Amino acid sequence: MPNMEFQLGLALPTPSIIKGFDLNNLGLDHPKDMGGLEARNKPARCFSDKSKRSFEQAFGNFEAECKTKTLLLLWSGQPNEEEDHNDQKKRTFSTIDDRNDAEEVDQVVGWPPIKTWRKKIFQQQQQQHRVGRIGNNRVADKENGSRSIYVKVKMEGVAITRKVDIRLYRSYQTLTNSLITLFAKYKKCADDDYTRYILTYQDKEGDWLIAGDIPWQSFIRSVQRLKIVRNWG
Amino acid sequence: MESSELKRSKDSVNSCESARRSSFPDEVLERVLSLLKSHRDRSSVSLVCKDWYNAERWSRTHVFIGNCYSVSPEIVARRFPRIRSVTLKGKPRFSDFNLVPENWGADIHAWLVVFAAKYPFLEELRLKRMAISDESLEFLAVSFPNFKALSLLSCDGFSTNGLAAIATHCKNLTELDIQENGIDDIGGSWLSCFPESFTTLEVLNFANLTSDINFDMLEKLVGRCKSMRVLKLNRSVSLEQLQRLLVNAPQLAELGTGLFSQELTIREYEELESALSNCKNMHTLSGLWDATGMYLPALYLACTHLTFLNLSYAALQSVELAKLLAHCPQLKRLWVLDSVEDKGLEAVGLNCPLLEELRVFPADPFDNEIVHGVTEAGFVAVSFGCPRLHYVLYFCRQMTNAAVATIVQNCPDFTHFRLCIMNPGQPDYLTNEPMDEAFGAVVKTCTKLQRLSVSGLLTDLTFEYIGRYAKNLETLSVAFAGRSDWGMQCVLGGCPKLRKLEIRDCPFGNAALLSGLEKYESMRSLWMSACNVTMNGCRLLAREMPRLNVEARGGMPHHLSLLSEMLGTRQTENY
Repeated sequence: MPNMEFQLGLALPTPSIIKGFDLNNLGLDHPKDMGGLEARNKPARCFSDKSKRSFEQAFGNFEAECKTKTLLLLWSGQPNEEEDHNDQKKRTFSTIDDRNDAEEVDQVVGWPPIKTWRKKIFQQQQQQHRVGRIGNNRVADKENGSRSIYVKVKMEGVAITRKVDIRLYRSYQTLTNSLITLFAKYKKCADDDYTRYILTYQDKEGDWLIAGDIPWQSFIRSVQRLKIVRNWG
Repeated sequence: MESSELKRSKDSVNSCESARRSSFPDEVLERVLSLLKSHRDRSSVSLVCKDWYNAERWSRTHVFIGNCYSVSPEIVARRFPRIRSVTLKGKPRFSDFNLVPENWGADIHAWLVVFAAKYPFLEELRLKRMAISDESLEFLAVSFPNFKALSLLSCDGFSTNGLAAIATHCKNLTELDIQENGIDDIGGSWLSCFPESFTTLEVLNFANLTSDINFDMLEKLVGRCKSMRVLKLNRSVSLEQLQRLLVNAPQLAELGTGLFSQELTIREYEELESALSNCKNMHTLSGLWDATGMYLPALYLACTHLTFLNLSYAALQSVELAKLLAHCPQLKRLWVLDSVEDKGLEAVGLNCPLLEELRVFPADPFDNEIVHGVTEAGFVAVSFGCPRLHYVLYFCRQMTNAAVATIVQNCPDFTHFRLCIMNPGQPDYLTNEPMDEAFGAVVKTCTKLQRLSVSGLLTDLTFEYIGRYAKNLETLSVAFAGRSDWGMQCVLGGCPKLRKLEIRDCPFGNAALLSGLEKYESMRSLWMSACNVTMNGCRLLAREMPRLNVEARGGMPHHLSLLSEMLGTRQTENY
């Protein structure tokens, strides 16, 4: 096993590279730049950590994925009268990857904090119940044999994204009516009744278009996401 | 006491010798102290003077070690010669969520070797988040002839072969409690290893296991263990089999059913209902895997005295839950899935006035966008109907500051408040503001608060509130929160009783870490991951506090390795 302690000792970043770390100003600094933490409304995958960057630079590896660095302090309570200063044990060990079991690649590791064994139960239950329970399944077989197509719907100014099953609707009108009902409670008091909204969608090419231009059947085959934006025009 | 005796004991406050000579023989002191059960009381007692220290250590039979790396087994054995029961906890709690690598440590074997030599009469071993191999289980089984109780919670590293060793060799076993473990389930023949003459089992919990077990052997085992009071089955046991077991074990106090879904004839249903209702002592019910509305009514008569109902493996709908709860007037603890929705929680508020604990788990945790589950409305409804509520774990997808304020107004006695808004960094969905005021309300109102988990969009203000008001807080969990070092500094500077602090994905760095030097003296553990702490900061900390065990991991792509330095000596645990 390589002596990683030695390697790390050589490659440690100098204090000047480490952001926000200044022992002389303990507790007095409110560092403004904390690496992109301002955008809180979107689900955060990881927070860019400028000080971890310096590790990557030192080792010549650049990766977009975030790494876990862990500090763990373990100790006990008050020192008791009997202390044994002779007992010391060095533990070194290595690990392959901090991200264990990240089956869902686009999810934050270990979040929401559900215990592993409980997650396994959910997965088993979902596998066994393809048909049936409302709300517990991503895809359900419908009576007419066609499968649901869930697309995400965001409304401008609303924190929560919803999902709708496009297959439930037959026309733009029914879709928009349903969306109005769905999002009605998120309408802020500041909006007056004359605020207009436009429904836009992202198609297979990734372009954002105004919904309504193409025939409904083409639309449902092409739509990837929906977004409701304010119409300032 | 006469005034002359009073004067004498005051004079000899620093010397127990005279007090000893005057009245208290060692044996009496030991006898008195042996009645003390709380390990914190025992710690206090041991600090009075040397004689009390000795009397305490000779009279102690149970030792609790909250962090297995805080002390070595040799030290424990040297100090406490008469231990019969050990509780050990190992890995940090975040290992439950895959944030700790697999071979981190917390292996029990070294402890077992010492115990085999020093405590040959060991009777009980309770482990939480430890690594235990089959070899260790076998070693345990053969090394302690009086061994009675084994409880493994959230442990890993073993398989059903290890259980077979326990069943084979532990002739006096009363308790085998296997919960939530990362167990390698390779088959059910372990049950058959209990000898035919074996009758002492009182607690059997194998709900954790996924594979089929030998039902005939189980039926015979349950039939001959007349003192059995806790039986928790796994999913492989059917309703019909459950009925057969219950007929022979009406004395059960805690029951975990197997699969609660099967095609039953009317007669089979009635037999099941009858067997369940004959369990007059039943106060805890769990399992109920895949329970549907069809067979839940079989439980109604059995629920009259129920105090703990765990429905977290059954995705019930609101109506089904409401009907069931109408028969559970004595309920104190309830665990459900959020499939019951707000309507289901309204039923909780209406039917369970004695409720003290509520846990709502997400049925579909990894889909952020399908909005089902529970909202703030359900929680508020429960708080109106259940004023005694003091423990809550609540997973939801939306919350408001106003709702939380109402909740704690209704239920000011919270000791454990664990709120998980599942989308990281999500604000109050009505006002779009941070959730600071929600947790401010919690810590200001709930003066008995011991444990707090925060979530949602939070600025440093939340932590100012926590530091200032949470006088009894012992455990704090933080994720995706805070704005700067100041947040963590507030917590470390306040919260006089803080023992465990776990933080992930927050912008707290070295300055925050190093501001807690005084605080760490009185804490059990600190976890920080994906924060702004650097290796330099850790080294500085370790240098400033040589008695602290500091572990720091740096992750690197492709050849991740772990640096672990024990820069300090071990401290003896404050038992």
